[in-house]
Amino acid sequence: MGQYLPIFALLVLASLFAAVSFAASRLLNPPHPTPAKTVPYECGIIDAKEPPERFPVKFFLVAMIFIVFDIEIIFLYPFAVVYRSLGLFGLVALAIFAALVFESFVYLISNGALDWGPAKHLRRRSPMVDSLRTADTTVKRVGTDGREAAA
Amino acid sequence: MTPLVDPLLSGPIGLQEILVVVFKVVVAFAFLMVAVMFMVWFERKLIGDMQNRIGPNRAGPWGILQTLADGVKLFFKEDLLPDNADRFVFKLAPYLALIPAFLIFTVVPVGGNYSTGDGTVSLFGEETLLQVADPPVGVLFVLAMSSVAVYGVMLAGWSSGSKYPLLGSVRATAQMISYEAALSLSVLSVILLSGTLSTSGIVAEQSQWNWNLWLTGFIPFAIFLISGTAELNRPPFDLVEAEQELVGGFHTEYSAVRFALFFLAEFMNTVTMSAIIVTLFLGGPNGPMFGPEWLQSWVLPSLWFFLKLFVFLFVFVWFRATLPRFRYDQLMDMGWKLLIPAALGWFLILAGIQVASDNDDINLALVVIVGVAIFFAGMGLLMLAMRSSRRQRQLSGVTD
Repeated sequence: MGQYLPIFALLVLASLFAAVSFAASRLLNPPHPTPAKTVPYECGIIDAKEPPERFPVKFFLVAMIFIVFDIEIIFLYPFAVVYRSLGLFGLVALAIFAALVFESFVYLISNGALDWGPAKHLRRRSPMVDSLRTADTTVKRVGTDGREAAA
Repeated sequence: MTPLVDPLLSGPIGLQEILVVVFKVVVAFAFLMVAVMFMVWFERKLIGDMQNRIGPNRAGPWGILQTLADGVKLFFKEDLLPDNADRFVFKLAPYLALIPAFLIFTVVPVGGNYSTGDGTVSLFGEETLLQVADPPVGVLFVLAMSSVAVYGVMLAGWSSGSKYPLLGSVRATAQMISYEAALSLSVLSVILLSGTLSTSGIVAEQSQWNWNLWLTGFIPFAIFLISGTAELNRPPFDLVEAEQELVGGFHTEYSAVRFALFFLAEFMNTVTMSAIIVTLFLGGPNGPMFGPEWLQSWVLPSLWFFLKLFVFLFVFVWFRATLPRFRYDQLMDMGWKLLIPAALGWFLILAGIQVASDNDDINLALVVIVGVAIFFAGMGLLMLAMRSSRRQRQLSGVTD
């Protein structure tokens, strides 16, 4: 473990540096919290909504697919170090393993597990999208969408 | 010829060894702090030049003390703790971001003559390598520490109790773990050629211009550079703190010294990532050697190392000044559908070539042809899968 001694030394020094910085900041400018200062940031407006507790399931999918690849990488590292003593056998075994992982990866992609396009929405020509203001809305849309007739 | 471990710490450890370790640690710490100061100034000045303006020019000559002035200012700012924050995790997150940034640098060899010697220098009468530590699993240590850095970002955003940091940290986590897979797969090619996980071993293998940059065939280097940029959350991959959408990303709620520590960690990671690229692909301190003994062992290797390091620091700033930010789906598509399969395929082809050239019974040309054929077959399969997913999306009424 002797080789790790300097790493521990730097770990201690870095932690000390961070701790001393916090202490110095506290001494130089002691916090005076007011309700206005400690509300969550929203450009000065009082936040109407709580932060979301859910986020898109795609992020969890990425985490799970990452685990599969991470496990593959864990097997590849020892092979990369000792492949000379394993010879052809090691290469073939590794190729079969990689092919299996790749096959499941292709399946995931073809099912759209790693697609990050915009959320599903149908583009309809609504009365809102018109260069003239309609009875439905007074909003005048910017852009050329739906204006071909008016032009 | 090459010591697999640092000779300083392989024997019994006495007072002399402890003193050398303390000296190295303090020098590394001071170097990193000065390097960050320089890097922040360099980035602002260079981007100023690239955007046809002057950049910082008030504090010190050419504004070189600007970072110091900013740092001192942050110490006098009020350190706020938001109402909704998880107090313990909120305070823990800056440590988790900063400490890995310091520790990664320990395994980088910054000097030592590997071309005509064994890389050791004499320091206070002790033979030692010019790196803070040389664990036998140096590369794994780098990857492990960059994984710990993900926790700093993730927990900072989650514990703030506010929506922009949360969104920033969720994005950051998905981005960093995706590109970490590509990063580790591209390092595999280097490990394959060097046959060791120790950073000093990798550097020693690259002496006499046997740089991994061309021995691994450029592709792993390109993948490492791209995924390294993404891992650092630097432009064009800075969706984590896309200021137009997310205010400041994961550190929106952080102020004063806590913010300063995140900032410090970010720029320190840029410096260490450049150092890791130089170590893995560009031969670290290897370069032309001439002149007397002291020049060869102390001056030239470190000079080559810092020159190469400087090139990559410039490249990272250049990226930032030149490239517009990615869209999130483009970012994920590039990581998963291009870089990861390419890195994996390239590694397998390299492994095939290495095994074939070791064994006399195997025909090298045949292995290359079969390998490339399999590579293209896999690529075709992948494109077929992507087309099928696109068609499904069109059928289900998703536009764009």
